Amino acid sequence: MADRKEFLTTIHHRTRAGRYKPTHAPDVPWTPKDEPRKEERIEAPPARFLEELEALGGQGLLAESLEEASEYILDLAREREARMLLRWDVEELERLGVDEPLREAGVEVAVWRDLEDPRQIAARADVGLSTAEWAVAETGSLILRNGKGMGRTVTLLPPTYVAVVPEERVLPAIRDVLEKYEGRLPNNLCFHTGPSRSGDIEMSLTIGVHGPGDVHVIIVRES
Amino acid sequence: MRRTAQRRDGRDRRGVGIESKVEGFNERSRRAIEDEALHAAVEVHSKNTVNNRNRALRALPDAPELRERAYHIKQETMANLDRYLSQMAEAVEARGGNVFFARDGEEVVRYVGDLARRREARVITKSKSMATEEIELNRRLQEEYADLGLKIVETDLGEWIAQLAGDTPSHIVAPILHMSRHRAAEVLSGVAGEKLPPNVEDLVAFARRRLREKFLSADIGITGANFGVAETGTIVTATNEGNSRLVTSVPPVHVAVMGIEKTIPRLKDLSVFLRLLSRSATGQKITVYTNMVSGPRGEGEADGPEEFHLILLDNGRSKLLGTEFEEALYCIRCGACLSVCPVYRQTGGHAYGSTYSGPIGAVITPLLKGDEEAKDLPFASSLCGACAEACPVGIPLQDLLLKLRRRQVDEGLASKAQQIAFKGFEGAMRSPAAYNAGAKAGRLFQGPLSQRGLDRKIPGPLKGWTDFRELPPIAERSFRELWKEGF
Ligand code: SF4
Repeated sequence: MADRKEFLTTIHHRTRAGRYKPTHAPDVPWTPKDEPRKEERIEAPPARFLEELEALGGQGLLAESLEEASEYILDLAREREARMLLRWDVEELERLGVDEPLREAGVEVAVWRDLEDPRQIAARADVGLSTAEWAVAETGSLILRNGKGMGRTVTLLPPTYVAVVPEERVLPAIRDVLEKYEGRLPNNLCFHTGPSRSGDIEMSLTIGVHGPGDVHVIIVRES
Repeated sequence: MRRTAQRRDGRDRRGVGIESKVEGFNERSRRAIEDEALHAAVEVHSKNTVNNRNRALRALPDAPELRERAYHIKQETMANLDRYLSQMAEAVEARGGNVFFARDGEEVVRYVGDLARRREARVITKSKSMATEEIELNRRLQEEYADLGLKIVETDLGEWIAQLAGDTPSHIVAPILHMSRHRAAEVLSGVAGEKLPPNVEDLVAFARRRLREKFLSADIGITGANFGVAETGTIVTATNEGNSRLVTSVPPVHVAVMGIEKTIPRLKDLSVFLRLLSRSATGQKITVYTNMVSGPRGEGEADGPEEFHLILLDNGRSKLLGTEFEEALYCIRCGACLSVCPVYRQTGGHAYGSTYSGPIGAVITPLLKGDEEAKDLPFASSLCGACAEACPVGIPLQDLLLKLRRRQVDEGLASKAQQIAFKGFEGAMRSPAAYNAGAKAGRLFQGPLSQRGLDRKIPGPLKGWTDFRELPPIAERSFRELWKEGF
C-alpha cells in the first residue's frame, strides 16, 4: 500500500525539480489587440431554458400557476397510460396537489418516504416527478441535489421524467450555479440535461438508453 | 457468451490497456488501412465530430479565452499538484469518504479486490473509465481474484458491446465506432440467445433491459472521473446515457478511479472545463448527465452509495511533472485531436495498440509506458499540427511528438524505430485505398492551412512524416482563427 505522505512528497519533489517553462501557451497573448470576448448575456432565462431543452428533444412548459402545472402532469400520465408515478417527498410537490387527481384517474402515486424497497419501486414506476434546485438557461440543464426525500433513482429509472421548477430558480449559466455553492457542494449534485441518449452504434442517435428518454420540465411563474 | 468472446479475426484484445505490451503500430496500421469498412466508419465519425465541434465552438463567444484559462489552470495545478491532491483527499474524508493513493495498477487491483472480498460482492457495474482500461482492471480482477467469481459489467452501451465481443474501445469518446450495427447485433444476439435484428433502436432497447438488471443487482459501482475538484473533494463524471449516474446511485458502494492529473483546484474552474469538454468532444453544450459526487449518501437518504472510495492513481503520471512533457497531463480526453488527425483517420484507434489512441495516445503511451515499449507511436503522426489546433486546453501535441522522437535519438532507439515506421508507411503508400484517403485528408486540411499559406507543405498525411523537418512551425493563433473562420 502506498504511504500517502511518501506519495505526496514524491510528487512535491517532482513539481519542484527542474521546472520546465513551456514556450507554448494557447491563443490569447498572441492577439492582444483584440478586445477579450465577453460571455454571452442571457436576457430571459426561462424562455431560453425551454428553447435549449426542446432543442435536445425534451419538452417544456411555462406555467402561470400550480394548477396549470398539475394539469399538465395529469394529462401526461394519461397519455403515457401510466400506472404508477413516483415523486420526491418535498414541500413544493405537496403544494402542487397533483396526487389526488392522479389517484382519481387511476394512477398509483408513490412518495419517496418509508418505501419498503425504494429501488424496486423506482424501477417499476412509469413516471418520476421531482423539483430541481436550479435550472440553467444556457444549457437547458436541471440541477438535482441529494437529500432526504429526494431519491436519485426517481429521476433516473422511470422512462418518463417530469420536473417542476419555480421561475426564480432558473439561472443564466453554469457559472452562476457553481457560484451559489461557494466552494461547498452537497454530496451529490447532478446536471441533468435533456433525454438520456447514445450515439454509440454507428453514430445513430438513440434516445432513452439508461435514463429517461421522455423528459418534461415545467417552469412555474406564480403571481 | 463463449461464442461472442471470440473476435472475428481471432484476436482477443482484452489485454490491451497499457499494462500489456504495446506492439508495433505499423503492422496493425497496415492491416487497418486495408480495412475499408473500418476506414469508412472512422471517416464518417471524424467528419461529423469535427463539424459538430466547430459549430459548437463558433457559437461560444469566449471560446479562445476559455481555452487560454483552461491551459493556465492546468499549468498552475500541476505546479502544486501535491497540495491540491492532499486538499482533495481531506475534503473527501471530511465527508466520510475513503481515499487511497495508488502508485500503479497493481495497487488499484489489490484495493478493489480486497474491497470486493469484504463486501462479498458478486456483481460490479462500471461506467466508462479510461484509467481502469489503462490498468486492465477488469481482466486483472477476474484473474487475480478468481475465487470471488466476480461479474464485472461495463454499462456504457459501446463499452458493454466491446466487452461482450472480447474487444477494447477504439476511441476515447466513441468506443465502438469500429463496429458496424451488424456486428453489434451479432454480439448482442449472443447474449440474448436469439437473433436480434441489426436495428439500432431494438439493440438499444435490448441493452437497456439487460443492463437494468445489472444496475439493480450490483454490489459495487466503479467509475472514472472526468475531473476532480480539490476544493470541494468532488468527482465529476460526464455521460450521455446516464450510466455513470446509475452506477453512482444504485449500488451500495461507489469506487471512483481517477488519474491524479484530472485534478482541478476550485469549483469555479469547473465551469471553464465543462464549457469546453462536451463542445470539443461531441459538439454538445453539456453532457446529458454531468454528475458530481462529493461523498456517500447522507442522513435519511434511501439511495446513493453507503460507501464512497476515491482512488487517486499515479501509474507513471507524476514522472512527467516539471518536465518538458508535463503538458501531456493537461488532457481532458475530449477526443478532438483524434478526429482531426490524418493518421488516425486512416488507421482507427486499435492500430495504436493502447488505451489511448490518436495524437494524445501517441504522446501519452510512450510517456506512461516507456519509449522502448511504444517506440513507433511518436512516428504515427504527420506533424501537421491539426491536433494541437483542435485541443481545447492548448496542448502542443506535435511539439511533444517531436520531443519524443528526439528523446528516442538520445536514447539510441531512434534509428531502428524510424526504420520500422518508415516501412509501415511505405506499405501504406503502396495501397491505393490508403493513398486516396491520404489525399482526401490532405484536401480537408488545405482549407484552414492555406489561410496561413502553409498548403504547399502539407501534401498528405504520410508524406509529412518523411520530411517533417521541413515543416514550418504552426502558427500559435490557429485555434482562434479556426474558431473565427470555421473549416
Ligand atoms: S489532447 Fe487535447 S484534444 Fe486530445 S483528447 Fe486531450 S484534451 Fe482533447
